[in-house]
Amino acid sequence: MTGDGRRCWRDLDELLDTPDFREALGREFPAGAAELADGMTRRSFVRLLGASIALAGVGGCFERPRERILPYVSEPPESTPGVARHYATSMSLGGFTTGLLVESHVGRPTKIEGNPDHPASLGAAGVYEQASILQLYDPERARTARLGRAKASGSEVAALLSPARLGAAVGASGAGLGLLLEPSASPLSAEMLRRVRERYPAARVHFYSPLGSHASDRASLTAFGRPLLPQYDFRSADVVLALDADFLAGGPFSLRYARDFADRRRIAAPTDGMNRLYVIEPGVSVTGGTADHRLRVRAVEVESLASAVLAAVIRQSNRPGMPGRQGIPDSVASVLRGVEPPPRHREWIDAVARDLTAHAGRTIVVAGERQPARVHVLAHLLNAALGNAGRTLRYIESPITEAGASSHELGPLVEAMRGGAVRALVVLGANPAYTAPADLDFGAALRRVPTTVYHGLYQNETARACHAFLPSLHYLESWADGRAWDGTASLVQPLIAPLYGGKTEAELLGALLGDAEASAHELLQDLWRGRMTGTDFAGAWDEALQRGVIAGTAAPETTPTWQWDAIGSVLSRSPPPADSSLELVLEQDPSVYDGRFANNVWLQELPDPLTKLTWGNAALLSPATAARLRVATGDVVALAYRGRTLRVPAFLLPGHADESVSLRLGYGRGAGDETLAEGVGANAYRLLTSDMRMFGGGLAVSPALGDDGAPLRDRLASTQTHWRLEGRPVALRATLDEYRRDPAFTAPQRGRVLSLYEPSPGGGDQWAMVVDLATCTGCSACVVACQAENNIPVVGKQGVLDGREMHWLRIDRYFEGSAEDPAVLMQPMLCQHCEKAPCEYVCPVSATLHSPDGLNEMVYNRCIGTRFCSNNCPYKVRRFNWFDYNAEVAETERMAKNPDVTVRGRGVMEKCTFCVQRIREAQIAAGIEGAATGEVRTACQQACPTRAITFGSLNDPDSDLVRRRAEPRRYAALHELGTEPRVQYLAAITNPNPELPRGDGGE
Amino acid sequence: MATAVSSGPAQLTDRLLAPAWTPSRVWWVLFGISGAGTLVLAGAVAYTVATGIGVWGNNIPVAWAYAIINFVWWIGIGHAGTFISAFLLLFHQRWRSSINRVAEAMTLFALVNAGLFPLLHLGRPWFFYWLIPYPTRMGVWPQFKSALPWDAAAVATYFTVSLLFWYLGLVPDLAAARDRAPGRTRRRVYGVFALGWRGSGRQWHQYRVAYLILAGLAAPLVISVHSIVSLDFAISQLPGWHSTIFPPYFVVGAIYSGFAMVLLLLIPIRRAFQLEDIITERHLDNMAKLLLAMAWMLIYSYVVETFMAWYSGNVYERYTYLVERPFGPYAWIFWGMLTANVVVPQLFWSRRLRVSAPVLFAASLLILAGMWTERFIIIVTSLNRGFLPSSWHFYVPTWVDWSILFGSVAFFFLLFFLFLRFVPMVAISELKQQRHEASTAASAVAAR
Repeated sequence: MTGDGRRCWRDLDELLDTPDFREALGREFPAGAAELADGMTRRSFVRLLGASIALAGVGGCFERPRERILPYVSEPPESTPGVARHYATSMSLGGFTTGLLVESHVGRPTKIEGNPDHPASLGAAGVYEQASILQLYDPERARTARLGRAKASGSEVAALLSPARLGAAVGASGAGLGLLLEPSASPLSAEMLRRVRERYPAARVHFYSPLGSHASDRASLTAFGRPLLPQYDFRSADVVLALDADFLAGGPFSLRYARDFADRRRIAAPTDGMNRLYVIEPGVSVTGGTADHRLRVRAVEVESLASAVLAAVIRQSNRPGMPGRQGIPDSVASVLRGVEPPPRHREWIDAVARDLTAHAGRTIVVAGERQPARVHVLAHLLNAALGNAGRTLRYIESPITEAGASSHELGPLVEAMRGGAVRALVVLGANPAYTAPADLDFGAALRRVPTTVYHGLYQNETARACHAFLPSLHYLESWADGRAWDGTASLVQPLIAPLYGGKTEAELLGALLGDAEASAHELLQDLWRGRMTGTDFAGAWDEALQRGVIAGTAAPETTPTWQWDAIGSVLSRSPPPADSSLELVLEQDPSVYDGRFANNVWLQELPDPLTKLTWGNAALLSPATAARLRVATGDVVALAYRGRTLRVPAFLLPGHADESVSLRLGYGRGAGDETLAEGVGANAYRLLTSDMRMFGGGLAVSPALGDDGAPLRDRLASTQTHWRLEGRPVALRATLDEYRRDPAFTAPQRGRVLSLYEPSPGGGDQWAMVVDLATCTGCSACVVACQAENNIPVVGKQGVLDGREMHWLRIDRYFEGSAEDPAVLMQPMLCQHCEKAPCEYVCPVSATLHSPDGLNEMVYNRCIGTRFCSNNCPYKVRRFNWFDYNAEVAETERMAKNPDVTVRGRGVMEKCTFCVQRIREAQIAAGIEGAATGEVRTACQQACPTRAITFGSLNDPDSDLVRRRAEPRRYAALHELGTEPRVQYLAAITNPNPELPRGDGGE
Repeated sequence: MATAVSSGPAQLTDRLLAPAWTPSRVWWVLFGISGAGTLVLAGAVAYTVATGIGVWGNNIPVAWAYAIINFVWWIGIGHAGTFISAFLLLFHQRWRSSINRVAEAMTLFALVNAGLFPLLHLGRPWFFYWLIPYPTRMGVWPQFKSALPWDAAAVATYFTVSLLFWYLGLVPDLAAARDRAPGRTRRRVYGVFALGWRGSGRQWHQYRVAYLILAGLAAPLVISVHSIVSLDFAISQLPGWHSTIFPPYFVVGAIYSGFAMVLLLLIPIRRAFQLEDIITERHLDNMAKLLLAMAWMLIYSYVVETFMAWYSGNVYERYTYLVERPFGPYAWIFWGMLTANVVVPQLFWSRRLRVSAPVLFAASLLILAGMWTERFIIIVTSLNRGFLPSSWHFYVPTWVDWSILFGSVAFFFLLFFLFLRFVPMVAISELKQQRHEASTAASAVAAR
């Protein structure tokens, strides 16, 4: 308060500057308040005002990373406030990376999209990748490190790991040191581990993931002596056989595989050809739902059926006029000579084998991750027998660090822990206390280790059991790298400075090496300085950041050397005894993966593609088995398996194999900071055993009884309770033959309907969408994309039970045919933007009306919430804010909101807008240029791995949209109502084998 | 009858005004119960407005449920009063005089209740006035293609006219109350409401004309209100709603439930105040006949609706009428509705049952419940299984829904008990006039 330079005083206290005076002064004039009085001009006031509005709700807690990050290649170099920028980065899951583009508003990442330049994405993004943005902002993420029970600084915990401290405990060679990581293909992690091993040669380094590819690696080791990874090219495959393999969804390369597969299924004209997919599986996967022929068998039977197919292929290849056996030696072929399919599947197996043989060289056989190594070997042999190698698939060295090695087994580490050999254990990322097989009793083993350090995003079950905890950084805050399924390397660049502090995996490993202040950015640059081709490292680095891939890093094809003896002995070993008992099948969850995303509300509320269940898992079983066991959907059953029992509600899934019960992993999370996930569903890991078999016979199912002896019931929150179409022309389907015979089979469901209302004007941009049901797999990437783009709230389990889910875009799943063996139909359902919209004329206040460019618009400010529009919407795509759903959103999670889209309040209706914010952005940009509106892509379209969604203007004759709308199989859902929807569907076309009866009981 | 005939006009007035001067203990008990129920309503409404209508059981697809069911039900009940007053007046049905006051009051209170629900059911009830066409700075008007602004206008008009009609009819009796009230305060209050009525010939003449004009105005409103309410459903394209028979169907149903409510109220009043000579068996008989007639019109609507659904060949219509309603998850409500609305009134083919107060009372109760469930069937079973099977969803009401329903019934009775306490419950002046005319006619006959 002495701004005027002259030393004046008002009373003695001020002159003497007593503490009392200073306190009183502080109360009267808070520090900094004077600046307002003095230096504030109108201009700076407005600037501050603008800035404070921009920062409102985010608490000013985000900032850009310190290091230089680079936007995606096509972005302009200058940054314009209010205009989003995209940065390339990549996310690792299951060890492999997927390249992403992250939308960022003023340094705040808000949405995750696929990187078109990355081979694992090609522009698409899956549910896990897209929802990971919410994980970044999860208020329950760990914020501080912990030592014992007390909060600690990160450096204190890091000091614990320094060679000086650790060396004393674990010995100079590190014999007492255990490291447990997740399988990874990251070159940086591999390098850091190499250095750790150098420093501590005797250290036990182990990798664990419950969903790992251990069986396939072991199969490769058997068959080729090396951990080779098959790379399929579905674009050149006419016939595909999936042996319990869900290659279209959830896997590390599924986005790409789905895209390639769909490219051969998207038929523009009836004369086009399309591929054919056979699936043998116990449950109903996304891939199984897409199949032309699906054989539902118990998981334990897949192996015998695979060898029957192989035997039949070999038999048929021997016949004159057939292509050669492609070099399977007699030693192996003879083992299979006597193999016959079980009589009830003989017709199916023979037909498939004939079809495969007839298309030899243009087929693919894929074995599922959870199937044992023998099935993978059989798949390798089938591909060899059919001459696929080099044509539809090639082999590469697995990019996973130490793939196939014994370090990928958890058992030996736990053994050492239990024996007291491990004096210090560092767990990075994995959550073994939750995911480890129950019989290993990881928790008890952990208590035997004197020093345990956990490094992860959350203080989860494992963190709680560890002595010290150090938060890890989210990948959107990290510098790192990784490799995709095909070996392509990419960098991970941070989008935002760490929200809470923490270390990356490489930084933690650096601390282990004695560099407590290691910077991931420097480590990464040091590593890649030596590896990037060309002389100009800075330029190559910048390009890698900008494009999101490091050029020329895809793994080269390698020619496998077949170990025929080993294969012969594996095959001749008698298969496990035919077991007709009830089996249990564990599987990856399409929403929460292995449980790591269980705290993610978007994913908890994302309906399962097949069951449409949210917020929890269930014991899935076929109607026939349920009838035998006398259980109904919602009955709680006790699953007794290998001495352990788990209580879980039952759910009847049409199409499930009989005498088989599937259960998804990742639910029933235990005590930890993830309170949202805690107790949702049942923990299927309690039934996982250390042989890591994801299925096995000997399951006993009995109704669970409460304390009063009454059967227990549970409420399962499914978003779709009725699965039959009731003969209504909503989701149309035909076989390829039917389509060729009658290309206009959808004609009664399209065209103009007599109407009293005037047709829409139709000038300028006229937005419309076409959804191809032939390529929609139901993977639900679009649902999450829509949720992220449009700030769609979640309603919780009770909300879903009450029928109040908010998804603007949902995927309707219908079963057609018998309940035992139905065909599956997926239909994305969103606002159809009817030209004659039934919602519009019933709104009493004109809150929903038509834009000149054909959008059915919602004016939230005008809506008073009569809900008449929803009652009159035949598609029931309108969503109502029954409560103020955004009131409970945490401060951090608000940062994930898209600033271009209104956050809706209580009492108003909302629905799909065709991503109007993107349309207007494009139109404004075009207006400035004076050009026609360029390409606009909706969020759902952008995320779709199979490109089933096409969007554009009806008045743009060169657009994909107009071309696809001209296809003969186009139709409008509920066409006869005369709503003239702007969203139109292309009827699903399947390509069944004429030799086989339609197992689905279709028309 | 004998005592009533022997008593003079003054005694009649005293007798009919007596309940207003000295409330009985029973009155206090009933007032307390309905007052407590009204507090439940107030609590449930406050909770709803403060939290959001998510506290109800509504969902997507069943976006309308109890609030709209209650609205239509109360509006329907509100039809009988004006029907009795206006139509029967215009048709010179003189027996109406004994019951029209109660019926009109009942109408008003039903409308007060009905008016509550359209406001309450809005997502943002504080913007209800956007339904009203008023000139705004923004130049935004209601959307007149929708039935809802018309609905708001129709209900408001009907309420206004009903209120005026009731009040106008009340004026001479209020003057009588003013003249006879014990105590100065009551005289003053009644005096204010009597609007200076003196009973001069000129006043009577103008009163008659005004009353007839209002009756002429109110009569078409009886038809229009529920017709327009029915358009809330009929203009949509939802199977189960999209039906051209809805306007007459709704009007008939409304009058049906209204008569049932009138009977439900009159029978205890008749007993409690010993009005058997004023509300006679003839009244009961006539009301029961009307119920029977309305029931058959309703049955005709049910049949036509179902037949047209089948005859249309439309899979959605057929599903709603021929599968969902009779055999769906709410089938027990559907069959219950048919029992109450179709089977029960057939009792009234018997004259003995038509004049039996207990039978009529029980039947009225069942018919009122039946008409409430009819609206439940129309609204919920059409919405819960619409066009796309994927969006089918069950509907279950919550405790708030039930509280509001029963609270509104309590509120209705609260208003009604206040009416009994403070307002002449029978049109005394009309009754006196009729008695006079009857006796002069009788003496003329005797003289001849």
